[in-house]
Amino acid sequence: MTPSKEFLENLKQAPRHVRESMLRNGKTPDTDRERSQSTFHNFFLHLQSVRVHRHSLSFGYTFGLGLILTASFVVLTLTGILLMVYYKPGVEQAYDSVKDIHYVVPAGRFIRNIHRWSAHLMVLAVFLHMARVFYTGSYKRPREFNWLVGLGLLVLTLGLSFTGYLLPWDQLAYWAVTIGSNIANSPREVTDAIGITAWFDPGRFQKQLLLGANYVGQEALIRFYVLHVAVLPLALTALMGVHFWRVRKDGGLSRDESRPAPPARIGEREVEVFAPSKTYGLMAVVRGRTPIVGRAPEGTVPSWPNLMWAEMAALMFTIAVTLALSYFFDAPLKEMANPAIPENPAKAPWYFLGLQELVSYSAFMGGVGVPAIVLMGLGLIPYLDRDPRGVGVWFGGAAGRKTFWQSLAFGLASVLALLAFTVNLGWLRTWFPTIPQIAIILLNPATVIVALYSAWSLWVLRRTASIRLSALALFTCFLAGFVVLTAMGSIFRGPNWQFYWWPSQWPIH
Amino acid sequence: MPDSPKRRDFLGLAALWSAVAAMGTALAGVMRLPKPAVLPGPLRVFKLGDPSQFAVGSITRNEAGGFYLFREEQGFHAISSTCTHLGCVVAHNEGEGFACPCHGSRFSTDGSVVGGPAPAALPWLEIVVSPDGQLQVNAESQVPKGTRFRV
Amino acid sequence: MPADPARAYKWVTVVCSVASLGFLIGAAVRENISADWRGHQAAFRGILESKAKDDAARAAARRLPIEIRQVSVPALHTVDRCVSCHLGIDDPRMSGEPNPHRAHPKRLVEIHRVEKFGCTVCHQGQGAALNFQEAKAEDYFWDYPLLPTSMTEATCASCHDPRALPAGAADRLVAGMKLFEEKGCGACHKLNGKGGQLGPSLDNEGLKTQHQFVRTNLKGSQTTWNWFAEHFRDPAGIVPASLMPSPALTQREVEALTVYVLSLRQRDLPAEYLAPDKIDEQYARLHPSPPDGAVLYRRYCAACHDTGLHSRWDKKFQRFVPGIRNAAFLRTEEDECLAENIRDGRPGTRMPAWGPKAGGLSEVEVKALVAYLRKSAPAAPLPAAPPRGDVSKGARLFAQQCAGCHGPDGKGLIAPALANPVFQQAASDPFIAQTIRQGRESTPMPAFGRAGFGEADIGDLLAFLRKWGKP
Repeated sequence: MTPSKEFLENLKQAPRHVRESMLRNGKTPDTDRERSQSTFHNFFLHLQSVRVHRHSLSFGYTFGLGLILTASFVVLTLTGILLMVYYKPGVEQAYDSVKDIHYVVPAGRFIRNIHRWSAHLMVLAVFLHMARVFYTGSYKRPREFNWLVGLGLLVLTLGLSFTGYLLPWDQLAYWAVTIGSNIANSPREVTDAIGITAWFDPGRFQKQLLLGANYVGQEALIRFYVLHVAVLPLALTALMGVHFWRVRKDGGLSRDESRPAPPARIGEREVEVFAPSKTYGLMAVVRGRTPIVGRAPEGTVPSWPNLMWAEMAALMFTIAVTLALSYFFDAPLKEMANPAIPENPAKAPWYFLGLQELVSYSAFMGGVGVPAIVLMGLGLIPYLDRDPRGVGVWFGGAAGRKTFWQSLAFGLASVLALLAFTVNLGWLRTWFPTIPQIAIILLNPATVIVALYSAWSLWVLRRTASIRLSALALFTCFLAGFVVLTAMGSIFRGPNWQFYWWPSQWPIH
Repeated sequence: MPDSPKRRDFLGLAALWSAVAAMGTALAGVMRLPKPAVLPGPLRVFKLGDPSQFAVGSITRNEAGGFYLFREEQGFHAISSTCTHLGCVVAHNEGEGFACPCHGSRFSTDGSVVGGPAPAALPWLEIVVSPDGQLQVNAESQVPKGTRFRV
Repeated sequence: MPADPARAYKWVTVVCSVASLGFLIGAAVRENISADWRGHQAAFRGILESKAKDDAARAAARRLPIEIRQVSVPALHTVDRCVSCHLGIDDPRMSGEPNPHRAHPKRLVEIHRVEKFGCTVCHQGQGAALNFQEAKAEDYFWDYPLLPTSMTEATCASCHDPRALPAGAADRLVAGMKLFEEKGCGACHKLNGKGGQLGPSLDNEGLKTQHQFVRTNLKGSQTTWNWFAEHFRDPAGIVPASLMPSPALTQREVEALTVYVLSLRQRDLPAEYLAPDKIDEQYARLHPSPPDGAVLYRRYCAACHDTGLHSRWDKKFQRFVPGIRNAAFLRTEEDECLAENIRDGRPGTRMPAWGPKAGGLSEVEVKALVAYLRKSAPAAPLPAAPPRGDVSKGARLFAQQCAGCHGPDGKGLIAPALANPVFQQAASDPFIAQTIRQGRESTPMPAFGRAGFGEADIGDLLAFLRKWGKP
């Protein structure tokens, strides 16, 4: 055909050709095979494996918590960017800009509520996800490193929530961050007690790094803003990438591989299934784990559509819950931050209230000591429990379930008893007013509870000779302790951190 | 494994489309956010006091509002003092019209362009009498050239 | 195995998507259709239309846009959205309409144009809000809720000297100012640097928020003005163990005084907002006219000393307050001693120091007060005091005759403290001797000279009393 006819023909065919060039397979897939190919070839879709094990789709196994977290993060990022259009990070303007978002910005009230409630949901989900992964033994080989990455994501999630908390610049925000920065300053308790503060003061260093000053002001606001909108989300995204990558390369979600695979049906026959290795396409053979999902096709289903439906369900569930909360409950906003009028009680965000309760006994132990011990302990779990059995089963079986309930009871009983003791009888300084601070640092409810829980865990170890069960015992005790201490800090502490049964009893001041 | 026979998956379609509808509604709602419902900053409506204080033949410059107020026998009119080229403030020379110092645009006494790079005439601004009896110029609202406001 | 492994998830997706859609639409309706202010604007449009005199006006009324309206006043750092509901606030045609359409009463808005002042600078409240409850902001996380109509005069004092305002403009406020003077609140409360120290200083009392008050016993609305009103009705009921006597006010007086206290605020307003009489008032404070002793006495002394002509039993203090205008007393006391007592007070007792560094009275004012006290009687020359005698005899005499009223340690029981550094400094031996001899008319202090004390006894007492002074 003539050049100009060819030109016109190409112009006419352009829409079809655009579509064909965009989709690597040329068209939207119709068959399972085409769907598998699309999953493999597409940039966004190849995050998933082509086939996924049926077990991984089981709600009762994972409760979709990882997906809920991802969905929350997406919602938070989108709503966060929208809020950034109107929020102004200056101490004179921040509060008013948030009020304007609430009253005047189109959809502002709703979007701000969504942002706040999905943040809380994300923090809650991250703790639940960690518990799920732990209790199903999904930290064992080869998933140890992914457990560490997950811990990093936990810390980043808490950091994102904490940095975001300051931005409205209201009384709640200001005093919560004052508390938080003083918790960062808590190493002072130790360096003062042993007299080395003059030449080694990590507490002051941490506090000044956080606040950019010695008080919560414009410097702190800008730092928290930069952390919240840029640094931490980027870090979280990077670690999320690693986390998903490792899930793929470690063989997908964990499952119980101790039972033999069910036979497959081919036509009328039941056929015993074996596990051939497979490689895809022209990829080189790699040493070590091959990039396959589990063993073989048995027990797997195509990701498109099955995994995608699970993801869609998790996403819409997260969105529905968030929207419901956002419709009925406004994100809190108190009076504008006023350094002259302290909140009493001044409380950290709920996920730090357990720490704040411990800090009320010893700043260092509650702020640095116990969290460091807990983080280190969590990090060590996959390297102490090297037994590869028991993956993919909740609590690892009946023995684990029994240990779980017993440890829950012990954990609850000991922390409640300790709290009842301190509320009614006080602690060392109540009876010995001049006792040196180092004694309190070493012997206080935080260290006592850690000692009690560790003793219980060691006892379980000796009784059952199972590292996993002793780890399970310890984890469960700390879980119980965390919940009770958080409840204590939220509900039962009133002005001056005194114990009250109900907020209605707080004296008005 | 052989492909299962294609069957209409009503539930699947319903799920997909309901999710799309929810996301689409969310997106539509969210798209409204960047356009402000109310513009910050003071109103650009200027109350100038009793109309009788402006003598016939007077020319009053209002710097805050960016306009010149004229009263002639036929009535009041207000011409914006913002050059239509790139926004500089034009000067008024009695009898000659307006001249912009930035790039040399020149306008006649009724705001029409007579020279320079300005692409359009100086707008005439809306004048009303406010409910409390003052002469009120709305710098955000334009009226056709030649509109006089009679009190 | 289920035929479709994704079946359950599809169900979850449908249900959650439909629920999400519902909430999205609900939120959109709540914001764009059913918002309060939209209804008010629609109603206002109808009123405008009904008041329109011709077709053009009617058409213009129908075209009135329904949108958020706000008054932005950068000079005052406010953005007030009250006009989103109160569209007719400066439209004289709306004076007969029901709220929120009604025009502002008392033609105040003609002097205080909405474009220049906004609304919250006078009325307080949360100007950013778009519904009445949150604009009123009572029992809400907002420092300055909407002032009730009866209290609105309080803000006039931010720009005006209330006394210079025309009659009917701020009557309650002016009445409150007068009451503050009449009742002598300054005797215990410092204001603008001058006043007593038994109670807290009242500078910027009007700017305090509810969180700065103890409201354990406060019933009813938890606003600062309710606190003030209840405090005036029953001080000790609101502040436990308060020494403040009940001012015995009528309901109207309570309101007036509350408005006044609420008006005590130093606001950082640009100069163009201050009325000239306000600037005069501030100038007058820096360059005060010669003080009137009687006014000063009324303001700072009368609350405790009453007329001063005789001593007075104070129920709260549980002691006699000396009669400082008592002629008998003034005859025995010299001007400089009076001034010293006023300047330095009586540390350890309820009498505060009033000098420039303490109560804030200048030398001129102290002298004016002394001159006023002096009016009751001139100072008469005192007979000489006997030489100081035997301390132990004096101690015995004191324990028998004086300790019952002056306290065994001289710190004062129902009679003034003698073991007081200012008393010891100001009182001369002849003064003490004459007082013991002659007593004090119109007070419980007997004339011991006529009851059998000889000069030697007085000398012994002097020796004993002086042990409490500086050597």
